[in-house]
Amino acid sequence: MDSSDLVLYIVVATALTFDFTNGFHDTANVVATSISTHALSPRSAVALAAVLNFVGAFISIEVAATIASDVVEAGAITPTVIFAGLIGAISWNLITWYYGLPSSSSHALIGGVVGSVIAAVGTSAVIGEGVLGKVLIPAVIAPVAAFVIGVICIGVAYRICGRLRPGAANRGFRGGQVVSSAMLALAHGTNDAQKTMGIITLALIANGNLPETGFEVPTWVIVTSAAAIALGTYTGGWRIIRTMGTRIIKMDTAQGFSAQGAGAATILASTHFGFPLSTTQVIAGGVMGAGAGKRVSAVRWGVAGNLVIAWVLTLPASAAIGAASYGFVSIFGPGALGPVLLSLAGIALGLGLFAQRIRQGQPVPAT
Amino acid sequence: MISLATIIDGKALLETVLAAAVAGVGITLAASTAIYGFATFAEARTDGRFIAAGGAALLALVASLAFVGGIAVGLIVMVSG
Repeated sequence: MDSSDLVLYIVVATALTFDFTNGFHDTANVVATSISTHALSPRSAVALAAVLNFVGAFISIEVAATIASDVVEAGAITPTVIFAGLIGAISWNLITWYYGLPSSSSHALIGGVVGSVIAAVGTSAVIGEGVLGKVLIPAVIAPVAAFVIGVICIGVAYRICGRLRPGAANRGFRGGQVVSSAMLALAHGTNDAQKTMGIITLALIANGNLPETGFEVPTWVIVTSAAAIALGTYTGGWRIIRTMGTRIIKMDTAQGFSAQGAGAATILASTHFGFPLSTTQVIAGGVMGAGAGKRVSAVRWGVAGNLVIAWVLTLPASAAIGAASYGFVSIFGPGALGPVLLSLAGIALGLGLFAQRIRQGQPVPAT
Repeated sequence: MISLATIIDGKALLETVLAAAVAGVGITLAASTAIYGFATFAEARTDGRFIAAGGAALLALVASLAFVGGIAVGLIVMVSG
């Protein structure tokens, strides 16, 4: 095994760690509305999300193709560059998890990789058209679309079921929410797990293990990415559950169903066309739409504003950490020493944050 | 200089938004109609209005089929790429 293979193994392990943190971080987005309306208990909601995240990872590779082919020039970068980008994404995910901010794992990943590539090669290796046309513009349009669809959905639900006895309507929409939760988890798995598949595939191309032309994701990459995101989802992000589930709006079951339906439909449609969305942003768009469709003042816009600030910070912050990580790694030359040292530092930081968070307790009881 | 129009795949974006809207609203419409049908069926049966109950049951059944069918079609489209 030569030095470049060792770096590749570290990249694969780091990408799967990112995938785990993505599932861990985004669990809240998928399950919060079901828990908030008592359609599902926290533990069963998380278990359902984990299983369907795993299944979802197998149903498409369009987003993986976009990540591997349309963001940076695979031929111009090395696995070390991708490693530094991943460190940027994971670090930002951990920081926002620690502070309970549901920022975008996807934007952290793309920001980290772009920052690292700029630090290593310059802007010439960044595919500006791809980043703008396939990532940034859909990133703006998708949450707005989910918001509008959420407004329409809750209008339809209230128009049809508004005069029913509350008990009957609540029972019905609770049942519907089990289905919409499942669809949302599936959507999350298929869009987010593919980003890791795309990154690992990009590293395999950069290392010469796969050809640059004829994009193909190896089966072992699909299976390991699916398992990592499912495990992360099951492990759960209880702190963020509280933010997403109760602090944006107080929801009834019809709103929960509408929010999840709008989010799932938007993510699945975008995945089909290969747009690597922020599932966090889309789901929050659906939640706010379902809230505003009932009563605009029902949405706690101050909390929603904080989420927007976290999202705006994500790309530049993760890019800066990615660039700094590359700067650190490059001090030790092209071998594996830099990635190994940075991995050890990252593990120590992650364990430290986990230990501190565990000492402070879980905000939502897992019943 | 590259214009925005050449960078953005407007057709794919528009299709994405339309597909999401049709799926999201369609599923909500079907689910809400099914819930309305089941609730009305239960109420009418309790009151002894059997014709109304039959109509509501039919509505609930059709809407439930549309709900399940819509989800199945969506999944098939996703899997078939």
